[in-house]
Amino acid sequence: MTETLLRTEGLTRHFHVGKLLSRQTLHAVDDVDLTIGRGEIVALVGESGSGKSTIARLLALVYQPTRGEIWFEDKPLSRLRGRRNKLAYSGDVPMVFQDPYSSINPAYRISHGILRGMKLHRGDLSRTERRTELTRVLDAVGLVPVSETRRRFPYELSGGQRQRVGFAQALALRPKLIVADEPVSMLDVSIRVGVLNLMGELREREGVSFLYITHDVASARYLADRVLVMYAGHLVEEGPTEEVLHRPKHPYTQLLVSAVPDPRAELGLADARDVGEPPKVIDPKPGCRFRARCPLAIAECETVTPLLRELGDGRRVACHVAT
Amino acid sequence: MSAPVLGATDQLATPPVGPAPLAAEIKSGRWADVWRAITRNKKALVGVLLLLVFVVLAIFPGQIAPDDPTAQTYLPGLHPSWHHLLGTTGRGEDVFSQLIWGTRLSLVIALAVGALATVLSVLIGVSSAYLGGIADGILSLITDVILVLPIFPLIIVIAAYRKNSGLFTLVVVLGALGWSYGARQLRSQTLSLRTRDFLESARVRGERKFYVILFEILPTMTSLIVATFLGAALYAVLAAAGLQFIGLGDPNSQSWGTMLYWAQNGEALFAGMVWWALAPGICIALLGASFALLNYAFDEISSPALRVRRLERSRIPKRLPPPTQPSSTEAVLKVEDLTVAYATDSGPVVAVDHVDLELARGEFLAIVGESGCGKSTLLYAIARLLGSPLPGEIVGGRVLFQGKDLVLLEERELRRVRWRDLSVVMQSAMNALNPVLTVADQMRDACRAHSNMSKREIEERSREVLRLVSIDPVHLHSYPHQLSGGMRQRAMIAMALLFTPDLVIMDEPTSALDVVAQRSLMVQIKELQERLGFAVIFVTHDMSLVSHFSDRLLVMYAGQVAELSKTRELFDRPRHPYSQGLLEAFPSLRGPKVRLLGIPGAPPDLARPPAGCRFAPRCPHVQPRCTEAEVPLYSVNGSLVRCVLQESQG
Repeated sequence: MTETLLRTEGLTRHFHVGKLLSRQTLHAVDDVDLTIGRGEIVALVGESGSGKSTIARLLALVYQPTRGEIWFEDKPLSRLRGRRNKLAYSGDVPMVFQDPYSSINPAYRISHGILRGMKLHRGDLSRTERRTELTRVLDAVGLVPVSETRRRFPYELSGGQRQRVGFAQALALRPKLIVADEPVSMLDVSIRVGVLNLMGELREREGVSFLYITHDVASARYLADRVLVMYAGHLVEEGPTEEVLHRPKHPYTQLLVSAVPDPRAELGLADARDVGEPPKVIDPKPGCRFRARCPLAIAECETVTPLLRELGDGRRVACHVAT
Repeated sequence: MSAPVLGATDQLATPPVGPAPLAAEIKSGRWADVWRAITRNKKALVGVLLLLVFVVLAIFPGQIAPDDPTAQTYLPGLHPSWHHLLGTTGRGEDVFSQLIWGTRLSLVIALAVGALATVLSVLIGVSSAYLGGIADGILSLITDVILVLPIFPLIIVIAAYRKNSGLFTLVVVLGALGWSYGARQLRSQTLSLRTRDFLESARVRGERKFYVILFEILPTMTSLIVATFLGAALYAVLAAAGLQFIGLGDPNSQSWGTMLYWAQNGEALFAGMVWWALAPGICIALLGASFALLNYAFDEISSPALRVRRLERSRIPKRLPPPTQPSSTEAVLKVEDLTVAYATDSGPVVAVDHVDLELARGEFLAIVGESGCGKSTLLYAIARLLGSPLPGEIVGGRVLFQGKDLVLLEERELRRVRWRDLSVVMQSAMNALNPVLTVADQMRDACRAHSNMSKREIEERSREVLRLVSIDPVHLHSYPHQLSGGMRQRAMIAMALLFTPDLVIMDEPTSALDVVAQRSLMVQIKELQERLGFAVIFVTHDMSLVSHFSDRLLVMYAGQVAELSKTRELFDRPRHPYSQGLLEAFPSLRGPKVRLLGIPGAPPDLARPPAGCRFAPRCPHVQPRCTEAEVPLYSVNGSLVRCVLQESQG
């Protein structure tokens, strides 16, 4: 793997739910160790509620971790003090949102967010330099001809174009890592690939790393170098994309991969009987969170939470049974 | 274009389409649009003109009024005449001149109070919602207290205490007590904005709170702020006139309220000086009306749903009837030449354009297409559910089900068919199920409405259908929120099966589910269908989802049938370039990794469809003749394809 850009250690985030007297703790993310290399595209895959969006918001400083640490360029974020340092970090690690119809302010031309970002994060740029840079990023995300697109309001653009605006906003900050939270899930099928390709190109040309958060395993395969699989707040498997998706080790990954509809393959019916859904992790006891649905479950799974362990070839899996 | 971008598949080559612009977007985006909207709206026009007249009167009273309003130079109590258009007062002043001079103060009070109340509402309402927590608690409490105070008596008390203290006090008192209603509205609007991603995006960018409130939230609420202002101005006109009428404020100032006060003191009505009292009253009403009309108009302009549009059927283009296809007698549903249109400001939009299809008993037909292609509209039209949430009117064609044309059925007869013989499963179970009733309650309501089953029969049938969809009948008495997403969708399907229908119509029933739950639901639907023998129409945007389940696949594009084939055939040999593009648009989990390109451009604006083939602007195989004439459906090896490339084959 390339040089590490960002890593987390025991990253945990809990939320309090319920009223004052019936207060419970929702474990959105528990003990996640992940690494993202420079110029690497890492896909974070999981079902809704598995905690992947919480991880995005932890990395974007929207939430504070309950426990654990995020290291960015070998500096711990918990030591980040003062507005200037925080601004510097959020300029390095911007985020692209899921819903292109709600993530751009409808009252402004699309250049607004891009110019504001530069004003905040790249104060050394003059007005004309910001204009030049605006042209550069709009061009880089394919919103051409720029002379025309920069004047547009969001409602004049299609969903795919709006999502490109989101990437242009991120790009204008000269980012090192873009956290993209389900950036294509709300787009029509025919234009999704365009946005996926855009991420690939930005990595090639600008050297940006991506954390690509998605529930679509096939798009993760298309784009990512490595895949992380989450289930109910835990990271259950990680490794190089092709390895993980072609030879999944964790029984949950196996279930997930077999359930992806694929007209070019036979219908995977072996475990189609599984009607279970990921649990809401409220005040959990130790043990594997997948055990109730797991065909391989053994007694140990009831009592001991499996930790990620190395399998070689850069693969790790959190399962007592899988080899 | 300085650097060619390979993946830029949706450049501005074609006019972009998206959902209808939001109110805020119209307002703040384009002043030209605002102007057009105002001049088109009768209420707005009348309101603006009225207000304009008053503004002119207020600015130039000296030039317009014939006399000095305070000069007691005439005989008291003169009737209207050429010299005194509205007669004279009991003290010998010209009523018409007083009326014109009075405009200024009345208008100034209205605008000043409106402005003050609006600023207060905005500051308090928006900060309260955005800051949340304790700040919200305190500010909301103050707002609520002011809201329930008996304002008018309070104003009288305050004004009486500071009698003759003049304009400034009046404005401050009215403004300080008149902001609470607007603040409540702005607060709730901000609350609904607070979760919008563009605010989170601004926070992630590192913006400070005051910037987010002033420059990100406020500009999106222009229409509501204007409405707050107009409402407050209306309230100020009436309240100020009322106060002046009972003699509070400076009685020697020139305003409509003080005119009323003096008219009352001079017993104008008894003394035959009708216009002395009536004229200021009418002016107050007119100024109030102009604010009220503008307020209504703003509401209508900013929420298009309030506007009533009529569908102009004559503007819908006619087409030649399609070739007749061999019809099987087994058909459970026959849709012939079905056309659905809905009205927009720029004329009718044909969302479903002359669609024909036939469904055999027990057949599984999938309809796929991108958003806005008309697939959901077609489905709603077949079930005769158009109106809400999907607008539209059937303007032509027939829907034959069990020998009856559903298009012609009365609502009462429809109820007999729907649910018993034809049932519908909606996209979001959470919205389709009533959250305050248990599953059992909702099943009972359905059974009662469509049959005369006994209580026991209903209970038994409910358990039976739940078991059909693999839900343990113990969940019969659960509320929807107690079930998981997958179980709610299953419960919806169970409800649709209460009466063993011949046809079940499904609108993206799995799109809210995760892949694992999605697949198990699909397997289940297919099994039930084979076991119970009902036919299915299944609408989805994801063609790979139905690849193993549907018998035939209908690909829709821009309101038309692009291709209709056997499912396997369509996946193996897609004939329409759009079907080919769709199949190559999504990555696969298996096989070699290839670079995909998607389909360039975006679907056309249906209000202005391109001439000829609607896919031509995005088509890699486009030829001159594609754009010359409407392309018919060609029949090729049992498939129907709307593409000129198939001409020679058919």
